[in-house]
Amino acid sequence: MSLEQPRPAQPDVGVTADGDLDYDAVADLLGEHVIGRESHVNAEAFVIRPDEVDAVLSTLKQEAGFDHLSCVTAQEYRDRYESIYHLKKYDAPTHQLSVVVPTSRENPVSQSGADVYDTAIWHEREAYDLVGVEYEDNPDLRRILLPETWQGHPLSLDYDQDQPQIVPLREHANPLEKRTEVPGESDTMFVNIGPHHPATHGVLHVETVLDGEQIADVDPDVGYLHRCEEQMCQQSTYRHQIMPYPDRWDYISAGILNEWAYARAAEDMADIDVPEYAQVLRTMGAELCRIAAHLLAVGTFALDIYGDFTATFMYAIRDREDVQNLLEDLTGQRLMFNYLRLGGVAWDVPEPRDEFFEDVREFCQSMPDRLEEYHNLLTGNELFQMRVIDTGVLPPEEAKSYGTTGPVARGSGIDYDLRRDDPYGYYDELEWDVVTEDGCDNFARATVRLKEMEQSARIIEQCVDLLEDWDEDDREIQSNVPRTLKPDPDTEIYSAVEGAKGELGIYIRSDGTDKPARFKIRSPCFNNLQSLPVMSEGEYVPDMIAALGSLDIVLGEVDR
Amino acid sequence: MPTLPEQIGGVLPIGGPLGEFVAGLIGAALIGTLMMTMTALAGPWAKRKITAAFTDRIAVNRIGPFGLLIIVADAVRLLSKELIVPEGVDRPAWDLAPLVLASSALLGFAVIPMGSILGLNVQLADPEAGLAYVFAVASIASLGLVMAGYASNNKFSFLGGLRAVAQNLAYEIPLVLTGVSVVLFAGTLQLSEIVAAQQETLVTLGGVAIPSWFAIVNPFAFVLFVIANLAEVGRNPFDIPEAPTEIVAGYQTEYSSVYFVLLYLGEFIHIFLGGAIITTLFLGGPAGPVLPGLVWFLIKIWLVFLFTQWARSALPRVRIDQLIEIGWKGMLVLAFANLVLTAVIVGVISA
Repeated sequence: MSLEQPRPAQPDVGVTADGDLDYDAVADLLGEHVIGRESHVNAEAFVIRPDEVDAVLSTLKQEAGFDHLSCVTAQEYRDRYESIYHLKKYDAPTHQLSVVVPTSRENPVSQSGADVYDTAIWHEREAYDLVGVEYEDNPDLRRILLPETWQGHPLSLDYDQDQPQIVPLREHANPLEKRTEVPGESDTMFVNIGPHHPATHGVLHVETVLDGEQIADVDPDVGYLHRCEEQMCQQSTYRHQIMPYPDRWDYISAGILNEWAYARAAEDMADIDVPEYAQVLRTMGAELCRIAAHLLAVGTFALDIYGDFTATFMYAIRDREDVQNLLEDLTGQRLMFNYLRLGGVAWDVPEPRDEFFEDVREFCQSMPDRLEEYHNLLTGNELFQMRVIDTGVLPPEEAKSYGTTGPVARGSGIDYDLRRDDPYGYYDELEWDVVTEDGCDNFARATVRLKEMEQSARIIEQCVDLLEDWDEDDREIQSNVPRTLKPDPDTEIYSAVEGAKGELGIYIRSDGTDKPARFKIRSPCFNNLQSLPVMSEGEYVPDMIAALGSLDIVLGEVDR
Repeated sequence: MPTLPEQIGGVLPIGGPLGEFVAGLIGAALIGTLMMTMTALAGPWAKRKITAAFTDRIAVNRIGPFGLLIIVADAVRLLSKELIVPEGVDRPAWDLAPLVLASSALLGFAVIPMGSILGLNVQLADPEAGLAYVFAVASIASLGLVMAGYASNNKFSFLGGLRAVAQNLAYEIPLVLTGVSVVLFAGTLQLSEIVAAQQETLVTLGGVAIPSWFAIVNPFAFVLFVIANLAEVGRNPFDIPEAPTEIVAGYQTEYSSVYFVLLYLGEFIHIFLGGAIITTLFLGGPAGPVLPGLVWFLIKIWLVFLFTQWARSALPRVRIDQLIEIGWKGMLVLAFANLVLTAVIVGVISA
């Protein structure tokens, strides 16, 4: 069930009778706005003029039903800058469309899409910060990942990496400056929550304006953990060197899920087949990771609400430890798994197989009991309910506009899960349900995570059954992949998987070499975090902390 | 029964006012040392062990038997840390706050009857208004919290200080009112008399004599008092003035080294004082079979301490506005209801 308004009776423009997307019809809708067509691997791309972005995007959103701006990728070519808006539909994520906005190198100014999709604000800030495209009308075009005083745009072609960043201290905003009052409002107080604060789940800085104990304004300041992941991937070869990096984006044991995002994009791009047996292994590993990640999410959420001596957190860590042991058996690693390979996985399940399967099965079967404990401690606790029900409310329309995905979107009643809606791996062969909750509040998001663990356990059990009975001669874990992978030049792909926190998308453009020319990561946490002001403004400080906890951000993935 | 200083004065070679003074000093030093020792045991060691037991861990076990020498290690560590005085703190107030906090809680023990051991009656003084005195000095701690919060020149401390005042205002009144209902039963404010009033046997069930502890006579008041006491000492679900995940450490954010130790100490002594008041008012004071009174008294205090740690491990923290609501709309009404009901019952019985 979903909270969405009933959809209008007439289908969206461009959808054929059997539910496919007809790009020609969409092109007709846009008419003269389209000045060119490109073909990306998963989607057609329409090239438009930089001063018509707003018109095109709002037409696509209103009339063609593209309500999900999944990602904005900016890149520089020898002759132009380009911004690509990757659009999807929450109802049908396989309906993908890219809007390519080229701008000249001399004057890289493009219209902003922020009026149509709220999520464009941060995405365009990032594009401006790293690549240097300027977006007119973006209400808040500041640097986002790098310090405000940074000189140059590191992903632009003429950026000199060796150029020292000479910034005198006086040019940095003084963190100690006396800023207790917001101009014009004498009753408010400015508080820096973070970057060193117990509840920010990493190095996050939330610039908060308080009116008494209530939040008047919130501005999350990210970038403290920016490690140039995109650039590192651009300097690594497809075949082997990129795969270890995804483990380090969402490093809270969601490694295999992240690896899969890259594997899926690269395999689709280079047309690599993955043996079925390997797909089952991947599915099992990924769901184990999801359980581990959700356990930590629930545990830290409890930490935010209960205080630092809560038993729930340690219970979650104890259970996560069991998952980690299984993952260690499977991959040889506890955190940075590096288990997936293009075209398969690194190795089969450990010998003796029976023992491993028994362990996994035992864990899955104990899952309902373990979850019972969490429901007793958390969702069944009246004090907990008092704290989290109807706080941190994220209405579904806002959730869509901010591009939230994963448990955050599903907690707002949006029935969106790429494992089912854009199937990959072995998910469409298995029996499981997508969990949604209609509460739109902190409680709903926590409940979704708890229930999803149960579904993950179901998936894993079915995978174990499959693996156990798999014909011994047919246990192929890796297909033939060229030693040096060189996808055709100018192939572009944007594809996503359902990570622990939501839609983890990868955009790759190849230039015919063995390294990507542009590697862009669409982080679910980045989008989810952007909706924090919606959830917390007008609420109390503790509710803001709870909302932050319920978003389950990992700063490694937000900042990349 | 003679108080502890009187008994000490009896064996001192000096008499007169000087002898009384010295005897009082010795007695106070003894009680103070006892409480400090308990705090030293509770803070660095017992708290860790208890929390660990609740959360499936082992906690300190490397230094000394059962990790007990961690107390020494922690003392050295905490005292040898640099005392950082942040810029712009309001000096005398900022320095005094930890002292006020620690000493106000210690002062409360002056009138608590702790039972007897080796023939000694362990109670420093037994004024007629003993209960009023305990409540009065215990609430001085709020002043310390406000001083710490306001003087720290830190917004988190400031918020913590404000929260502490709001919380203590909301809970002190139900706490005192519930205490008054006990006074109605006992007919006196003198703590030794309140303890004495609980020594009679209420009923005998199967040969076991159930004493007329006020916790058994009026369990409703007992529950109210224990809950209000949790708020009074600032433990979950009323952990709001510190609220580590929200306002860093509240009023104690800017304190380090010795000052931090003092704050910490004050907090623990406060928990113990809360335990002592509960024990005296509701659990029959030092009464108990076989073991000496003082031992029973300490066991009961530690049980209350255990309860606060349990609440801390298991319960979420409520929000400040919810806390105020619980305090003013819930606890206060219940406390008044309890008081009126008790008065009626006591009146009927005595009539």
